[in-house]
Amino acid sequence: MKWSSFKYLARQGLHNMINNRLMSFASVGVLTVCLIITGVAGLFTANMNSLMLYLRSQNEVVVYLDENLDETGLASVDSALRSISGLKEVTYVSKDEALDLMRDSMGDKADLFDVFEGEENPFLANYKVVLQDVGQMDEIVPQLESISGVVDVNVPTGLSDLVVNIHKAVTVISVGLVVVLGFVSIVVISNTIRLTVFARRKEINIMKYVGATNGFIRLPFFVEGIAVGLIAGLISSAIVLGGYQLLIIYSVDFPAFWGAILNDVLLGMGQVWWKVLIAFLAFGSLIGSVGTATSIRKYLHV
Amino acid sequence: MIVFDRVSKVYPGGNTALKNVSLHIQKGEFVFVLGHSGAGKSTFLKLILREEKATSGRVFVNGKDLTRMKEKDVPYLRRNMGVVFQDFRLIPSMTAYENVAFAMRVTNIPEKKIASRVPYVFSLVGLSEKMDKYPDELSGGEQQRVALARALVHSPQLIIADEPTGNIDPELSVEMMELLSAINSVGITVVVVTHEHELARHFSKRVITIDHGNVIGDSQNRQDAGEDAGEVIL
Repeated sequence: MKWSSFKYLARQGLHNMINNRLMSFASVGVLTVCLIITGVAGLFTANMNSLMLYLRSQNEVVVYLDENLDETGLASVDSALRSISGLKEVTYVSKDEALDLMRDSMGDKADLFDVFEGEENPFLANYKVVLQDVGQMDEIVPQLESISGVVDVNVPTGLSDLVVNIHKAVTVISVGLVVVLGFVSIVVISNTIRLTVFARRKEINIMKYVGATNGFIRLPFFVEGIAVGLIAGLISSAIVLGGYQLLIIYSVDFPAFWGAILNDVLLGMGQVWWKVLIAFLAFGSLIGSVGTATSIRKYLHV
Repeated sequence: MIVFDRVSKVYPGGNTALKNVSLHIQKGEFVFVLGHSGAGKSTFLKLILREEKATSGRVFVNGKDLTRMKEKDVPYLRRNMGVVFQDFRLIPSMTAYENVAFAMRVTNIPEKKIASRVPYVFSLVGLSEKMDKYPDELSGGEQQRVALARALVHSPQLIIADEPTGNIDPELSVEMMELLSAINSVGITVVVVTHEHELARHFSKRVITIDHGNVIGDSQNRQDAGEDAGEVIL
């Protein structure tokens, strides 16, 4: 195809879009909404992944030791612990250190703990163990419990199970949304193009009789479909990324715990914006062209 | 130019439009295809344009077997023929000039060639003055000439006129037939499909009469058949 012909046909496509502005507006609108919902789901999934990584890095298990454990006992516990695979960090905290840690956390009330010095110290010596992967929790914990000299293992299972389940649910829902909304968008775009095609069926008929190839006849409609997709992609990127930027700004003011977690977890704008933009433009133009392809076939049979 | 070899066309649903039709139209001939509505004229046209495929038998246009032609080659077949429809089929939102240029644009012809070719074909049909008018500003006869200009723009070897007198005044139809004669005189094959006996009789040309899907008459009245017509490049 010659460049001048391509330009002519592309102009025709854009011209169609303007002539059909009400329908174009409607399909840009529907596609924008679909993309926004998809985008929010996608960003939510990405941030859930980031939260998972965060929690995985935070998965600390505390292994409490028998009060009456002697030096040899301690040494054997230590070597037993270090022989378990899948542990990232193993840190020993003695009774005194445990007391000091508690004092530190109490600030100016630290002297309350003075009575617990020496023989009266109620804290147990323990190991802080960080797992490489929170998913291995179920395998590693029984191994920790079976070491002789260990009296208790404190596991944050509740949180990790919840997070794993939410993550799964979010992933499934996101994929479902993308599929369903993608389908809806294709139907909407295909209807818009069908209207354009219908309005121009006379021209198409003439084009067929004067010997235009199907590719030539289709091109303006593809231009229209893809333009609708790209416009929707741009608008929805702006809206989704704008909203996300606000979330990043305001997450600082969130209540203490959430604020802290969000700060660590929320993916930065720099990591996100180009992915969202590319995905939206690609998804928009894909849907635009698929919608066009499904609507125009019937009229080409002359 | 056009050869029908024992061609039958049966539409889905069992409606037989053409029955075992054989005919031969030479290059440069001027032929009327005469028949009542429903006689099979439209099917005859559709087979030549390869809009429909013959159920049996073979159709050749310009040496090409249309019954075996691939779908992707059909546009190129049509570029060698110009069709003037009964309802003209002009695009109302385009000027006469644009309507003709459109036929060239959609077949990948460079803008420069369009700019020189379109005014030329308008001069051939005697409508140079009205190139910039819209179809609804033109009379029926003028619209038909725009349609003819569009049919001529690809320098076709074959012009088909479908009921050229159907939508215009009788005196204009004579004018149109004279234009078609002039086109024929430079060696272009002209096929006029009509239901008007008067029109066919008025010009002493070959008349193929179709009725109920059969060729019931073929007057080989060809005193100005194109074999000896001069080769003029149109």
